[in-house]
Amino acid sequence: MTTLQERWQSVMDEVRTWARTNSPWVIHFNSGSCNGCDIEILATITPRYDLERFGVKLQGSPRHADVLLCTGPVTRQARERLIRIYEQMPEPRFVVAVGSCALSGGAFQGGYNIMGGVDQVIPVDAYIPGCPPRPEAIIDGVVKLLQSLQPALED
Amino acid sequence: MDTTEALALAKEVAGAWTWETELVEPEENRLDIHLKNAGDLAAAATEIQANRLGYLAAITGIDLGAEAGELEALYHFCQAGAVITLRIRLPRENPVVATLTGIIPGAEPFERELSEMFGVTVEGLRAPNHLYLPEDWPDEVFPQRKDFDPAVLDGEAERSV
Repeated sequence: MTTLQERWQSVMDEVRTWARTNSPWVIHFNSGSCNGCDIEILATITPRYDLERFGVKLQGSPRHADVLLCTGPVTRQARERLIRIYEQMPEPRFVVAVGSCALSGGAFQGGYNIMGGVDQVIPVDAYIPGCPPRPEAIIDGVVKLLQSLQPALED
Repeated sequence: MDTTEALALAKEVAGAWTWETELVEPEENRLDIHLKNAGDLAAAATEIQANRLGYLAAITGIDLGAEAGELEALYHFCQAGAVITLRIRLPRENPVVATLTGIIPGAEPFERELSEMFGVTVEGLRAPNHLYLPEDWPDEVFPQRKDFDPAVLDGEAERSV
């Protein structure tokens, strides 16, 4: 690679990092949750708590998303579907587990029909505890994830 | 028809039956009809429907344990605030019961759930596949029986990414 190409590459990498940390596009997946966490995520995106000021936009397709927000204890039936969605996301991709069911199975821990948390199925980057977590807690978790992304993406 | 009327009518109707029954009132708004012969179930359900004693609200099951050697299937009919339950005992070794979908088409999801959770063979179901259990569930493993061992599922599905 010539130095001009290298310089262009590093500029593009910086632009990409800037774009990903300043405007992470999100896909939300419910793997068997009671919908409590889903309602709180929806509330966080509305203008009152406004996750959109961080550039977070809810997408309809995993192929357009940087971050997967996953709720629910991952039922055995949802497991295959969750893996399929995770594999459709282009790299670099990040997973946030929202709510105590997604962390460890929550109230259903030990149940015969659940995997017991999102990290039993796919690797997770951030955990947001709560049942359900308040929108403030969700914002805190997302901001912490974005702050941790900056050094990681600059490598 | 309100709760007391429904219960009174149910007691009258069930009392007039010639099949072997035992009537128990465990709570104020409930009437349990224990049917001694499982084969009387369809006829009893038809009678309950004919007298407009309620809609089939749920079909549940009880595992009475390995020593008792029996499973119990309960058919709950609700009318106003009253719950009228038909209870039948089935042998644990080969629990077979005829389907009610000919009389009550809405019984299908309950019967499929009963068959996959307790292992009761419901004869006459048009689609006897798993309803709630996943496709890769091991055969002959019934989660709601008392002798279900969750260790059977270890190694069934592991992290793959």
